[in-house]
Formats: sequence, C-alpha cells, structure tokens
Amino acid sequence: MRRSSLVLRILVIGYVGALLALPLGFVFQQAFSHGWAQLWAALHDHAMDLAIILTAKVAILAVPLNVLFGVGASLWIVRHPSKVSRVLDVVIDVPLALSPIIVGLVLELAYAQNGWFGSAFAAMGLRVMFSYPAIVLASVFVSLPLVSRQVIPLLREIGDHQEQTAATLGARPTRIFFTITLRSIAWAAAYGVTLTLARVIGEYGAVLIVSGNIALITQTLTLNIGANFESFNSYQGFVGALLLALVSVLVLTVIGVSRHRLERKRHGSFV
Amino acid sequence: MAVSYSGVTKSFRGRLVLDGISDVVNEGELTALLGPSGSGKSTLLKIIAGLTPLDSGRVSLAGKDVTNTPARDRHIGFCFQDYAPFRHLSLRENIAYGLKVQHVARAQRREQVDELLRLVRLEDYADQYPHQLSGGQRQRMALARALAIKPDVLLLDEPFAALDAQVRAELRRWVRSLQQELGITTILVTHDQVEAMEIADRLVILNEGRIEQAGRPPFVYDHPATEFVASFLGPITSLGGISYRPHELELVGISDAAETLEVREVVRLGFEVRVILTNAEGSTTWVQLTHDQVKQINPRVGQRVGVRVRSTIATPAATGAEPATPRETSHHEGSH
Repeated sequence: MRRSSLVLRILVIGYVGALLALPLGFVFQQAFSHGWAQLWAALHDHAMDLAIILTAKVAILAVPLNVLFGVGASLWIVRHPSKVSRVLDVVIDVPLALSPIIVGLVLELAYAQNGWFGSAFAAMGLRVMFSYPAIVLASVFVSLPLVSRQVIPLLREIGDHQEQTAATLGARPTRIFFTITLRSIAWAAAYGVTLTLARVIGEYGAVLIVSGNIALITQTLTLNIGANFESFNSYQGFVGALLLALVSVLVLTVIGVSRHRLERKRHGSFV
Repeated sequence: MAVSYSGVTKSFRGRLVLDGISDVVNEGELTALLGPSGSGKSTLLKIIAGLTPLDSGRVSLAGKDVTNTPARDRHIGFCFQDYAPFRHLSLRENIAYGLKVQHVARAQRREQVDELLRLVRLEDYADQYPHQLSGGQRQRMALARALAIKPDVLLLDEPFAALDAQVRAELRRWVRSLQQELGITTILVTHDQVEAMEIADRLVILNEGRIEQAGRPPFVYDHPATEFVASFLGPITSLGGISYRPHELELVGISDAAETLEVREVVRLGFEVRVILTNAEGSTTWVQLTHDQVKQINPRVGQRVGVRVRSTIATPAATGAEPATPRETSHHEGSH
C-alpha cells in the first residue's frame, strides 16, 4: 500500500470515528451504564412510551401520504410535462433547502387558530395546531422530495416505450400503471420510503414548533429525548437516543439492501 | 387490413413535423417509410398506432375511421426500435402480456405462447429475462409479443437499427418471410435504403414532413421523382449538368459521342471500382465499374478518357419520369 493512501485512510477513519462512532458509542455506553434492570425500567417510562406510540402513529400516516404524493408528482412531472409541473419540480425541493424551524413557523402562521387556513378549520370546530394533524403535516412537509427524487430519474431513464407497448397490446391506463410502471419503480420508491421513515422519526425542529411539545400528548420520541436532557434526566434521554439509534441502523440496513437491488436491476438493464 | 391516412399534420412546439400527408397501404403488403432522421417517419408510425395524437387529418383501418380510437382498441402490433421489453417479466410473460389483457384462459395462453416461441425460434429461452437475451433475440421477442394479439397491422420502428450488420441482414430476410407467411399488412420505418429496397413491396420516401415519392422499389430507384429521392436511394453523380447513377456511365475512347474527362483517382473496393474524373472546369464525375470492366479499359491517373451514358439506360435519373402504374405516383409539388 502506498504511504499516501495509508495516510488518507487513517484521516478518513479518524474523521468519521470522531464525528460518528465515538458519540454513538457513548450513547450505547451511557444507556447500558446502570445495568439491565434499570434499562428495562427506563424502557417502560410512561412519557417515553406515549412518545414512541405518537411517533409510530405519525409515521403510519405521513409515510404513505408521502409515497402517494411522491409517486403521483413524479408521474406528472415526467410523463405530462407542462409549465405547472416544471414549477412543481423546483418547488418540491424547497423543504430540503429550508431550515425545519422555518417550516414549523410557516405552518404555524398558516394553521394557527387565527392563521390563513387555521381560521377556516377553527370555524368548523377543528384545531390543527398543537395536535396530531400538525405533527403529520410538518413531517410530510420536511420529507416532501424524498420519494420523488428517487423515482423521477428512474422514470426518465426507463422512458415510456414499455407503457406505450402495453397500450398497443390492449391494456388500460390503470393496468399499465400497476403491471408496468409501478413494477419498474418499486425499488426506487422503497428506497424513498426508508428515507422518509428515517426523516419522519428523526425530525425535531419543525415538529417542536407545531406540536407545542406537550408531554404525554404531543411529544414525539425526539421531543421526549430533548425534554429529558433539559430536565437533567439524562439517563432516560440516553435510553431514548439508543432506541432512535437502533431504528437508524435498521433503516440504514434496509436502504443498503434496496439500493443494492436497485443497482443490480439497473445493471441488468440495457440501453 | 388496408391502412390509409389523409392530410396528417403534426407539429411539436411550433415545428412542423408532418405537413398534411396522405397515403394508402394495401392489405398484405410491406411498406417501408424511408427518410433521413427528422423526416417525420417515426411520428407518422406512432400516429397510425394511436400513440401520438395528430393535429389534423384522418387515419383509417380497413376503411373504418380510427382517428379518435385509443391505441388499445386499434388492434395494431407495434415494435419500438429499442424493443421496449418489459424488464421485470420473463420472455414467456412478455409474450403472454397481451393475451392476459384479453383474459385468455391459462391453458390456452400457454399453448399460444409456446406456438409463438417456436415461430420466433426462442423456445429455449422462455424463462430468461430480457437482459439475458442478445439484441436479435430481444427483437424477435418484441415481434412475438406484438403478434400474440393477432394484430391486423404490424408497425415496426427501425426494427434492425440496433443490431450488428450480420444479424441485421439475416433478421430482415427472416422478418420478410414471416410477414409473407402471415400475410400481415406491415409498415416499417427505416433510414437504410438498402434494407428498404431489399424487403419492401413499396417505398414511401419522406423528407421534411412530406412524401417525396411512393412506389415499387425498383421503379423509384430507376425513376426518382426528385433530386432528393435520387440522392437518398443511392449514389448519384453528374455528367454535363445531368444526374446519373455512377453505374449508368461507362468509359470509352475519346470521341464526339462522349465527354472527355481526366482520370483523377481509381479506388478499388473489392468487386467494385470507382473511377473519379474531372473536366476542364474542375467539376467531378465518378463512374462505378466492375473489375472486369477495369481490366479491359485499364484507366490510369492523368489519362484522358471519354465518358458516356451506357446504351442500356433509357432515361437519366431525376427526370420525374412518368409513373408505370397509377399507384406509383409522386406526391411532390413542383420539381427541384
């Protein structure tokens, strides 16, 4: 091995280690520092359990919503290009560029009791802000481009010849969508789903603002962890962080596998 | 089934691709739409299939107007240049797709697919996926898939363009014999004039969205209606201001009956020999000869020789000669 490449390796490993491995290891070390019995008790902390349930509830609604939107928007942008769809293609990336705090503030401005849409909902007796719908809204907003950014390039690459051939063979649009289009983009969409899931579970800033961070009611797992650290209950915070880290490892594994499948599918393809 | 279209016009983003063209394709014939890229031939094919909407004009199949009929109800077999295999389906599933859409029962479907696999000689590859097949095999797969629905008309977009030379020549002869065996009306798009002349019953030559000429291949070759058709179908050269095919000229001794030119270059291309000549003004003429002819005359660079039109050639190229049959008409307004 050449000396320069050895130095490079040490630098990269050291950098990643200091940034990622050490802090993550610290989370594990802290979470297990009081033994299994304590850990078991901490896992049954009432506030944290409610936060986990809320996070799961948010993910269960936000992820499918984002998949529907992502696949629909991708089809529109690629298969039916127009001035409006080209604008959407650009706008769809805005949540990536905006700080989550801004996202939260904008949503609050719109959906608060006296906000643009909020007043209309209030008239119907519905409260959007500081409740479950607001958290879902913020989660969908911040993860908006994650599915479509995976699907759009693939749709462009495969082109519309397979779909048109299916049409000449007598297939109706819905059949073409389910037997040809969806089958072609399934792995890209799955990759987008795991990214969305990771983002929804891990989101902090936007959710902090729109949820009101009310313990036992609108506190997601990330908010619960934050609250525990702030109230000097850091052991409980580390246990929550351990759970989040484990979810991340799981998501990363799924991403790795689906990416591998996607790559193989692309390589197996031709021109 | 006969195909006809009239006044077909199409523009893309303000650019006119098809300029009100009309033609009739007879039942059981193989017609080649021949033209350079950008001539609108592929767009015309997609319009006939119902895959691209037209701006104005009409399309009929067997006398029935299908202008507003969606592609799925036209009963037309269509093959794209890239064969568009359904990548996630095996060869057998690809061919069965149209039958499944028609709700053909499983046992019957299997039987029909097996028959098609035999027809395109892919029995041994039934369970392979498209990426495991060669270009020629994919092409035959696409053909079998299109034929599975027993279409009334077969449309092929540049079917051999993506194949290497040897496979291409072999496959086009095979496609032609299959087409004759099935007696299916076929329209094929190509930019390769040799391919078109080899397998087509009839040529339709397109340029800039208009039909320059339509007719039987030998007739169109010998009697091109326009300069464009003449130069597109084969090499042309000029002698005394008139265009000829290089094989229509011969070298003779210097006399009043022939134009006197100077030999510039003798290029030997296997069987064919090209003799390139210039006149006093410097304009170039070239003559296509065989080895035997060259042996007899033995032209040398710098030598002055007589060049004249072979006695067997009645009419020079690009004269807009009279059509031999009423169907072989030129659609071109005016002459170049």
